[in-house]
Amino acid sequence: MDRGNRWLSAFAVVVYAFLFAPIVVLIIFSFNASRRNFVWLGFTTEWYPRLFANHDLLDALGVTLQVAAIAVVGSTILGSLLGLGLARLRFRGSGATETLILLPMVTPEIIMGISLLIFFSQLFGLNGSIGQIAIAHVTFCISYVAVTVRARAAGMDPRLEEAARDLGADAWGAFWHVTLPLIAPAVAAGAMLAFALSFDDLVITSFNTGVGSTTLPVAIYSAIKLGVSPQINAISTIIVAVVSIALFIAWRLGAFRPAPASLAIEDAPAS
Amino acid sequence: MTGPSVPAELLPAPAELRRTIAQASLRERLAGLVFVVPGVVWLALFFLAPLVIILVVSLGSRDAAGHVTLANPDLRNYLQATRPEYLPAFANSLRYAAITTILSIAIGYPIAYWISRYGGQRKVLLLILVMLPFWTSYLIRTYAWMIILRDNGVLNSLLQATGLTGEPIVLLNTDFSVVLGMTYGFLPYAILPMYVSIDRLDRHLVEAGRDLYGSGRATFRHVTLPLTMPGIIAAAILTFIPAIGDYVTPDLLGGAQTTTIAKIVQVIFTSGRDWPYGSALGFLLMVVTLGGTLIALRTLRREVLA
Amino acid sequence: MSDRTDPASIVEDELIRYLADRRMTRREMLRRVTALGAAVALAPVVAACNAAASIAPTVAPASTAAGSASSVPSATPSATPSPTPVPSPEGELFVYNWDGYIGENTVSDFEKAHNIKVKYDKFPDADTQMTKLRSDSKGGGYDVSYPASTEIPALIADGVLLKLDKSLIPNVSNLRPDWANPSYDPGNQYSLPNYWWTTGYAWDPAKVPGALTDWTALWDATYKGHMGMLDDQREVFAVAAFRLGLSPNTTNEAELDQIVQLLEQQKPLLRKYTDDDIGDVTSGDLWISHAWSGDWYQMTTDKPKTQYVVPASGAVRGNDTLVVLSGAPHPIAAQLWLDFNLDAKVSAANTNYIGYMGPNAAAEQYVDDTIKGDPRLNPPQAVLDKLVELLFLSPADLDKYTKRWNALRA
Repeated sequence: MDRGNRWLSAFAVVVYAFLFAPIVVLIIFSFNASRRNFVWLGFTTEWYPRLFANHDLLDALGVTLQVAAIAVVGSTILGSLLGLGLARLRFRGSGATETLILLPMVTPEIIMGISLLIFFSQLFGLNGSIGQIAIAHVTFCISYVAVTVRARAAGMDPRLEEAARDLGADAWGAFWHVTLPLIAPAVAAGAMLAFALSFDDLVITSFNTGVGSTTLPVAIYSAIKLGVSPQINAISTIIVAVVSIALFIAWRLGAFRPAPASLAIEDAPAS
Repeated sequence: MTGPSVPAELLPAPAELRRTIAQASLRERLAGLVFVVPGVVWLALFFLAPLVIILVVSLGSRDAAGHVTLANPDLRNYLQATRPEYLPAFANSLRYAAITTILSIAIGYPIAYWISRYGGQRKVLLLILVMLPFWTSYLIRTYAWMIILRDNGVLNSLLQATGLTGEPIVLLNTDFSVVLGMTYGFLPYAILPMYVSIDRLDRHLVEAGRDLYGSGRATFRHVTLPLTMPGIIAAAILTFIPAIGDYVTPDLLGGAQTTTIAKIVQVIFTSGRDWPYGSALGFLLMVVTLGGTLIALRTLRREVLA
Repeated sequence: MSDRTDPASIVEDELIRYLADRRMTRREMLRRVTALGAAVALAPVVAACNAAASIAPTVAPASTAAGSASSVPSATPSATPSPTPVPSPEGELFVYNWDGYIGENTVSDFEKAHNIKVKYDKFPDADTQMTKLRSDSKGGGYDVSYPASTEIPALIADGVLLKLDKSLIPNVSNLRPDWANPSYDPGNQYSLPNYWWTTGYAWDPAKVPGALTDWTALWDATYKGHMGMLDDQREVFAVAAFRLGLSPNTTNEAELDQIVQLLEQQKPLLRKYTDDDIGDVTSGDLWISHAWSGDWYQMTTDKPKTQYVVPASGAVRGNDTLVVLSGAPHPIAAQLWLDFNLDAKVSAANTNYIGYMGPNAAAEQYVDDTIKGDPRLNPPQAVLDKLVELLFLSPADLDKYTKRWNALRA
């Protein structure tokens, strides 16, 4: 196993390098002297102070984070329940529910974007706003959370909850103390996916933005024709730096104790 | 896996048992509603209802001024959407999605396994690190790949500096760059569900498997892999389906020969301004993808259960 | 947005805000909501799709002739209430424009000059812009936008634009006389010309020697894998049309087949159909690229030696416009914005930043000589005479293009 472990660790290092290669490049190019950032023209730090004077970009980041927060909370709750329900319970219409969950994923983005635009604009006279974008994001994130949670909950030993009930827990107690801790890693993973999807969405969002609700991806995509300013690299660099530092501190404080690793009965927390 | 056998005298009487089962199944059904209804209502309201509008549009046509009209609803847009000239683009989409899915699982599974088995106290941190690149915007990461892959980009400069190549190799705007960009983008979607599935695995089962089969490889094939199959299936769904519909990556990293079906739909909606036709082609694409996915899921589940 | 962040309450807030808004009564709101479901009432919903609206300039604005669309509110210009001009401008202005399309200080100078706060949103492409502006047939909540001239007749016909009050725009006298009566909007009643440009091609003289003059260079197999065309069906078809001596506005099926045949020969030689011509040329991926004149000007800042030509066999000329939208929440401020951008110095600053010439006679003295004096950005009359404008096509004619474009791309 040790030799396997070594090979696996080496492979992991390569994959992490692959994941971070573009991040390193974008950080370096946040110091590029070219306004268009296609070719390296020399070192400068001027983009950072200019970024802090650029309200458009900072506003776009603010909108993006607000939308992502709503999308993550909303879709994680709704999606986790759906995933859990599908995996654990047999009920009439589960096949239809499963199809319903897959549908938003197979819908071409432009169709979803335009259908929501017509829906909000013609029926409610809404012209795009943070709330409208957030609703759209919750909608397309739900499926990803549900699929992830379902994968963990599938085949989870139902005797665990029964055991908790036998020990005197009511339905809610059994859910809260037994089921939830067991699916927690999948809920967290689903939330992370939802964040990534929301933070990055371009096509659906671009049809649902309104006055003052431009998101970061829409701002970046709009800048493509003239070249993406290093200010956008600078804003990404700052986000990565802040998140990394926060993660490091949280880790040192012991925030990431491993979640329950096994579903063996003897490992389940007592009710 | 079968449960431990219970001495007969401990079992409740058959009538009592039947009643308990009936109660349990009713309770289960009600609980099912509680779990499923909020999400279903949300999707019905904000996904299905808007989608019905587009479905109606797909049956319409345009008048001389370009406005959508439902004067003569029919299926002509659907018939028109099955044109053979779009097949190459559809084939491109399928090919990119299939390769991306296979690569994402082939790369992602060992990583998920490594984090789960050897991550120790750093497990969650390692997992969050997988997601850290997502805190930069997807587009900006894609532009970073463009900087890396261009003819005078980072990779070509490295290759030439080390003397491996003399002339720049064309990497960007090829099948290679599209698959690389998509795999990069979808890899975390594969790693996360596989991680949660592997991490759930009972260590004792693996140990029992080792006792039974002896070799680590056989244990992996007969115990670990089947038990983590739900995670692999989830990973396949979460990469393949969005990859089929991905429009942005092939558009930015692709070239003149890499057009996908999602791009065709986009062109019909935007430059072509034909919403009825674009909707019809989009729906056709949805039906094909959904049908294929459901069939694949059924087959996979049957295989796994068998 | 307030600190209420749950989506339902945000929707509620938006609804309340909207109902409070004078432009939609509760009754109309109810009418629209109850319209959902009934097949007949789907008409207003479907009419939203008139982003698809395309109307040749010659077609009379009888756009609502189709019976099903007759319930669309304010779909004709006459139904659009003109605002009663209030003496003082509003405190805000919502602009919807391309990124980096005006001078770097234009917004802040305007804010200072008029004490109006500008919200400046950008769109990624013209199709998103049109979809958004037409989503409610009155501008999607914006005050000012910058549509291409070819869109104007249909936008007027569909009631998306506000008729301009020239008394608020005295600087309109700065326009060159030949721009007083453009075919897409006679008398500039609903729009003011903003920039104009040519579409030619750019190349890197380090990779492609010699003086290129004609479109044939884009079919030269020597540069296979290093050539790009714009990702724009009308512009690409126009290039092949010029090579064949055909009109870039042709709707003849046989001629279009000839055009596509020529483009099929070109496709294997191309690296990409690009949205990003500036980046692809300056980074060195494309040695020759179909390009807009202003894009070439942008290329020269990072790669000064880049060349550009407007081919002698013919090329496309286009212009865009400044408009005020019919649903503008701040129509006075909007027209002040138009006036401000027609100011000689502001207009010149915009041109000096982007490299597109403006139709502003008074501004010319302030335009950089590198732009004004460069025949590629400011071509002489002899070249101008040969340039062709792309006309708007009817849906049926546009389909002939889209069908072939998609088949070519797939």
